[in-house]
Amino acid sequence: MMDSATVLTGLNLGYALCTLALTTLGLAIVFGLLGVMNMAHGEFVMLGAYAVVVVQKLGLPLPAAVPLAIAICGALGWAVERWLIRPLYARPFDTLLATWGLSILLRNLVEAIFGKGYQNVQSSAAAPMAFLGTSYPAYRLFLMALTVVLMLALVLWYRRSNAGLKVRAMTGNPTLARALGIDTGKLATRAFVMGVVLAGLAGVLLAPIVRVEPAMGVDYLLNAFFVLVVGGLGSLAGLTSGVGLIGGTQAGISSLIDQTAGYAAVLVLSILFLWLRPQGLYGRR
Amino acid sequence: MAAASSRPALSITLRLGGMRPWVAPVLLAAALVLLPFVGNEFLAYQIGLFLLYGVAAQGVALCWGRLGFLPLGHALFFGLGAYLSGGILKAAQADAVWYLLLPLAALAPAVLAWAVARLVFARSYHSGPYFSLITLALTMLGFLAANRFSSLTGGFNGMTEIPELPGLDRYGAMYWAVAALALVSTTGLTVMLRRPIGTLWSAISQNEDRLQFFGFATDRMKALAFGLSALCAAAAGVLFAPHQGIVTPQTVGFLLSTELVIWAAVGGKASPFGALLGAVLVGYASSELRDNFAYWEVVVAIAFMAVVRFLPDGIAGFVTRLLNRGPATSAQISAPVEAAPAIFPASRSSRAELAFDDVYSGASGIAIINGLSLKLSGPGVRCLIGPNGAGKTSTFNTLTGRLPSQSGSIQFADQKVGRWAAWRVARLGIGRKFQIPSVFSQLDVRDNLAIALWANRLHGLQSLSNRPKQWQTPLLQELLNLFPALRNSLDIPAGRLSQGDRQALEFVMMALPEPRLMLLDEPCAGLSPGETQRMMDAIKTVAQRLDAAALVIEHDMSAVERIADHVYVMHQGRLLAEGSLAQVQANEKVRAVYAGGHK
Amino acid sequence: MSAALEFRDVVAGYGDTQVLRGISGSLQSGQVLGVLGRNGVGKTTLMRALSGFIPLMEGEVGAAGLDLADVPPQHRLAAGMAYAPQEDTVFGDLSVSENLRLHLRTRDMSRYQPYFQAFPRLEERAAQRAGSLSGGERKLLSFTRTLGLLAPLSLMDEPTEGVQPENITKMAVLLRARCEAGAAFVVVEQNLSFLMQISDHVLVLDHGECVAGGPLALFTREKLESYLVV
Repeated sequence: MMDSATVLTGLNLGYALCTLALTTLGLAIVFGLLGVMNMAHGEFVMLGAYAVVVVQKLGLPLPAAVPLAIAICGALGWAVERWLIRPLYARPFDTLLATWGLSILLRNLVEAIFGKGYQNVQSSAAAPMAFLGTSYPAYRLFLMALTVVLMLALVLWYRRSNAGLKVRAMTGNPTLARALGIDTGKLATRAFVMGVVLAGLAGVLLAPIVRVEPAMGVDYLLNAFFVLVVGGLGSLAGLTSGVGLIGGTQAGISSLIDQTAGYAAVLVLSILFLWLRPQGLYGRR
Repeated sequence: MAAASSRPALSITLRLGGMRPWVAPVLLAAALVLLPFVGNEFLAYQIGLFLLYGVAAQGVALCWGRLGFLPLGHALFFGLGAYLSGGILKAAQADAVWYLLLPLAALAPAVLAWAVARLVFARSYHSGPYFSLITLALTMLGFLAANRFSSLTGGFNGMTEIPELPGLDRYGAMYWAVAALALVSTTGLTVMLRRPIGTLWSAISQNEDRLQFFGFATDRMKALAFGLSALCAAAAGVLFAPHQGIVTPQTVGFLLSTELVIWAAVGGKASPFGALLGAVLVGYASSELRDNFAYWEVVVAIAFMAVVRFLPDGIAGFVTRLLNRGPATSAQISAPVEAAPAIFPASRSSRAELAFDDVYSGASGIAIINGLSLKLSGPGVRCLIGPNGAGKTSTFNTLTGRLPSQSGSIQFADQKVGRWAAWRVARLGIGRKFQIPSVFSQLDVRDNLAIALWANRLHGLQSLSNRPKQWQTPLLQELLNLFPALRNSLDIPAGRLSQGDRQALEFVMMALPEPRLMLLDEPCAGLSPGETQRMMDAIKTVAQRLDAAALVIEHDMSAVERIADHVYVMHQGRLLAEGSLAQVQANEKVRAVYAGGHK
Repeated sequence: MSAALEFRDVVAGYGDTQVLRGISGSLQSGQVLGVLGRNGVGKTTLMRALSGFIPLMEGEVGAAGLDLADVPPQHRLAAGMAYAPQEDTVFGDLSVSENLRLHLRTRDMSRYQPYFQAFPRLEERAAQRAGSLSGGERKLLSFTRTLGLLAPLSLMDEPTEGVQPENITKMAVLLRARCEAGAAFVVVEQNLSFLMQISDHVLVLDHGECVAGGPLALFTREKLESYLVV
């Protein structure tokens, strides 16, 4: 019979890891599979969160934010891939910079429309429920469960579905893929859109429990990059090990010393990997 | 300005060559001097701030625009310089001795930057985007530290009440110190870019791989350049502290680093003047308009994206291209000529002695080189032949540090070169010519030849002087006589040469450092029969002239027949046979391999 | 009846370098065109030009009456042309069976029965990563996949490289069986025995030009060897 303090610590750790995984999923596809350094990834999360804000202002129920986020992120993602990413495909620095410009654009646009301050999302998210001998916010438990389900669904899709097979073929050997009739251009666009839509959905799910403000995306972007760098691109093992190592380090050092030290530890760990083992723990590329 | 009367003056200046680049610093000096009189002291104060940011942006532009790697966290060095300077100035209130330490406030961050770059680039020269992420992470660490160690830095609210520099009133004379720094850095960088070091930096961004094969330790060069760029930022930071009187964590943070990149991009990353201009124009405009016009930042972001997408050299680059419709200015037409110094002694080993001993090299279970034992001794031309996948190019790669070998030894002139870096192998006097001619396509032919002339001849500090640009050797003239078409193309960018001329250029470049062993990979690929003949003759002539050995990978048997004293046949990663061409052609095993009976 | 493949005065290369200087040929259904020549003469370049992976500088390529000039490579399979490149000829990260069912709509592998019978190792290794197979086994996999596409026209670049002799004979038999069914093939080969077993016509390249060509019957083995040998 575990004592409730341990359970609570475990649940908090699990929650931290799940939010990290949730916000990294989209970039795992865009950067991990397609190799695009999308510096606006965090802003797609932010847009999803603001979809919830909009929906609330219109007086609609919160789940209505889901189709709204999908629509906005999907359309924007399609346009970005078509006009910004594809022409710059052979120039990775320029892709990095162009998407960075996009992230600044989106941040400032949202700030101009909604203002700089935090938005309040009303929800019953903080309501606790009894779980494993302790009391924990139900929404967080729901989020954790959903993250696990989502990751499993993604892996199943990637490994078993026809579309996933085509994507795997394309990332491994694009020339042969085209010779076998796979339209790599369209496939890359669809994968990119899927990645940014996933980021938007993460934003929708997180809106009730995090601070929603225009600059919220930067932390998610950096953490996602560090997870992928440390864990390695293009594999589930990479994603989970990256989440575990980054999330675990941050949580661990934070509880030992403080939050700042926790974040600093993540930065140091990432720098070490970037320097000594840039392909990460399980990198394919 | 009367156009008609100034035209003769203009053409004289063009003929003197190199006058046009001085326009920017002169304009800058004029503008800087006029500003406080045309505007007022407060305007000078405001612009002064952006001049300082501009100098930091010049550091970003140097690395990114010239060398081809992008520092995303340059504010770290700017802020470090500012914090150090603030601390020193405050301490100097008590004891004036502290003023002596002020230069250190600029040097320490520069040394830190050099050390970081040295460590990172030494691991792998492919680390471009990862290096950017490292600089980003470092700047964030700096931000956290600045917030955290509040006893040193004043924490979130910053280090306040920083005194002015003695005798330099913040709203008055300080402007001249700032203007002087801006002028010095702009002029200094502009001058450096026109010296050999500038050419070498451009070469790094165009084809770093190739430059290593000329004996240049490019990772060390990049680290030094990064240190220099950090020095710019830190020096600006040193003046920032007394200029503003306060240093906050924002000064080391992510946001300022981002803005430096944007200003350098929009102003023009290829030119120091452009980067400075970008910071002053865009930065100053932003600070004025940001509060009045809610969508200003959006406009800047759109401009930035447009510049990245359509105008890679920013505004300055666009303007330069408009003005640069005349003859090229890099020509030293009437400049004096100087005899090039001798090749470094270490590169002139006594004999060409190459020995592979049971070398194995493989990846994921597939053997690429499988027990290769090959000996080559003394000058003369040899050919290396064999079917596709035999491992011929891989043999060259293991010798020149591009393919690590897992066992066996490779010796050249009594040195075990098995896992040496490419530039070290090149310094031993081994030259390499690639199948797809690899030259510096955006530099003109003259600069390409200059780089080859500097290989294994240029000492570090000489790259800062103008004299190496005037070096000549008799060998260069002899080589140009073999390929007269190159003489007519000296001012054309190498990328625009025809395939035949590019092969010729790469061959001449390979031969200029007077290598002891020349490795040539299908030098006649894509050449017409006439050009093939000329290339083959050139190889033979040059090998004799340099008393060097040449190892040539070839498929064209008529070419092999022309020049080879000795032929090696490779198959499946090892030596199958060797001897004269006739002997090899009569060899049963060789015939079987080529006719495809046994594979 | 329009030819299964027809190409006229094809000029192609890389950048501004011409590698092929005007190659022509044609092929009817059920026939095999064998392309031979020493290294570096342009055989792979020809295959890349015919399959659309490099643009034509001059000349035309048509299959079954359709002009392929504007058809990008990813649409050529639908137009009836399959291509197996010389290198990187399988998807290393996918399993053997995934490699084989990539283009299928169902998981029905029955079409591969004759190939599994001839090369039992492939069936044994169905669940293994294709990248872990030996070079010869990968070529067998690529061969199986290409023939399994049932395309009217197939371009194959050195299909027997690294394959063991007993399997090469089986490959020839399987390929001719597809010809009986009406498929046409263009095959680049260094292995003379294989080439002579399968070809109806040959095309000899040297320095980017066609130096000899015509029905196989016109050439003796010695003559063909002379084009290849050192």
